[in-house]
Amino acid sequence: MTMTTALSTRPTKAQQAGVDLLRIVRINEEIKSVVGVAFKINIMALNAIFLAKRAGTAARGFGVLSNELRVFSQDLRDGMSALTGLIHGCVTEVSVVLQDIRHTALLRRAVELSPVACGRDVLAAREVENDRHAERLARLRKQLRGALDDAFRMVELGGVLAKSAKIEAAYGQSFALPLSQVSGEFDGVVEEIRSSLEALRRSAFFTGN
Amino acid sequence: MKKTKTIFEDGNHKWVAIVRDPDKPNYLIDTNEYLVTHGSQGMLLDPGGAEVFPAVFSALSSEFDPSALSAIFASHQDPDVCSSLALWLEFNPQMRCYVSWLWAGFIPHFGGSAETFVAMPDEGVDISLDGLMLKAVPAHYLHSSGNFHLYDKVAKVLFSGDVGAALLPHGEDGLFVENFDKHIRHAEGFHRRWMGSNEAKRRWCERVSQMDIGMLCPQHGAIYQGADVQRFINWFDGLQVGISGG
Repeated sequence: MTMTTALSTRPTKAQQAGVDLLRIVRINEEIKSVVGVAFKINIMALNAIFLAKRAGTAARGFGVLSNELRVFSQDLRDGMSALTGLIHGCVTEVSVVLQDIRHTALLRRAVELSPVACGRDVLAAREVENDRHAERLARLRKQLRGALDDAFRMVELGGVLAKSAKIEAAYGQSFALPLSQVSGEFDGVVEEIRSSLEALRRSAFFTGN
Repeated sequence: MKKTKTIFEDGNHKWVAIVRDPDKPNYLIDTNEYLVTHGSQGMLLDPGGAEVFPAVFSALSSEFDPSALSAIFASHQDPDVCSSLALWLEFNPQMRCYVSWLWAGFIPHFGGSAETFVAMPDEGVDISLDGLMLKAVPAHYLHSSGNFHLYDKVAKVLFSGDVGAALLPHGEDGLFVENFDKHIRHAEGFHRRWMGSNEAKRRWCERVSQMDIGMLCPQHGAIYQGADVQRFINWFDGLQVGISGG
């Protein structure tokens, strides 16, 4: 009895592809917001550099870190742009897989209904093509997961830089307060990106749950 | 599964109607598909929507090798006419699809490549099916702005797309019109609303009145034969169309 229930609640390929499409669309929306925040970081890093210049020797350490943060923000934008490309690829492939499933179901039904043995070769060719699309999606899914991991590692490094900047800000003498504010904002934004990426890495699109 | 009915046969020249699927869900409009075969080739007229493809394919395959279909004739662009195109192309990617030039850029959204489509000019075109000449007859604005019917002068059959269509109630769905006056009641509302131009209707009636037609085969409903063909043309000629209730 339990087994019957388990079998009947297992999603069909089409349902799974539909769910995958929703998940990838959500990932895409999240990445779009992360890209927006990454752009904000670039501006913040520029402000930090100007502030450090004004503070002069008192903020030399902060200046070095803000330069690093600027490089980080650029790297982050590049990483996000690669992620966006992969996401678009995944959306396309999931859509193709969805279309394949409907197409194949109609072909299979036609072949089954046919009173003469007809169309089996066409159905077999269609299934080979479906496998090719499914493999391409699996490859893209893996690449996307890898790119998310890379971005996450990069953001963790950004977090370390932001925290070091907070410490350096304390040595900024009369500029300590504005430097601390800037580095605090930086740390907050990096933490926001880190949480988003962490959630994305746990997405059921990758775990398959 | 749909049934097949051979409505004309002379040697290897055949017209087969593919009709009436008892398993079709009610929310889909019922459609008639027609297969014309001559020699080794076949042409499918208004092959139907993707959802009815299994039923049409299985019925057709009992009569004809689907991989030998050389062409599809799409009277116009509607989904119930040709949204199954991509599925038919799986069986013969070289298949050609004859469509009005007006829809040649729209119908590819259902499938096919640049090579698939033969864009028919407004005045119509002769189509050869293994030596049998079929004529694409203009029927623009009836109902689609780029619309064709297909005439086979040897078989004296006119495939008339939506012209002559009737929405038949359950139990009155015979393949041929048996009682014209009773039947035409099921066609009236359809023609008043779907057909958009009285002028286009007049021209079509004049054109087809000059043809020798033994059977007028619509995409929905029943086939008119014998005297009912002219009876239908006269009825249609007198009908005011392009009228909605609103």
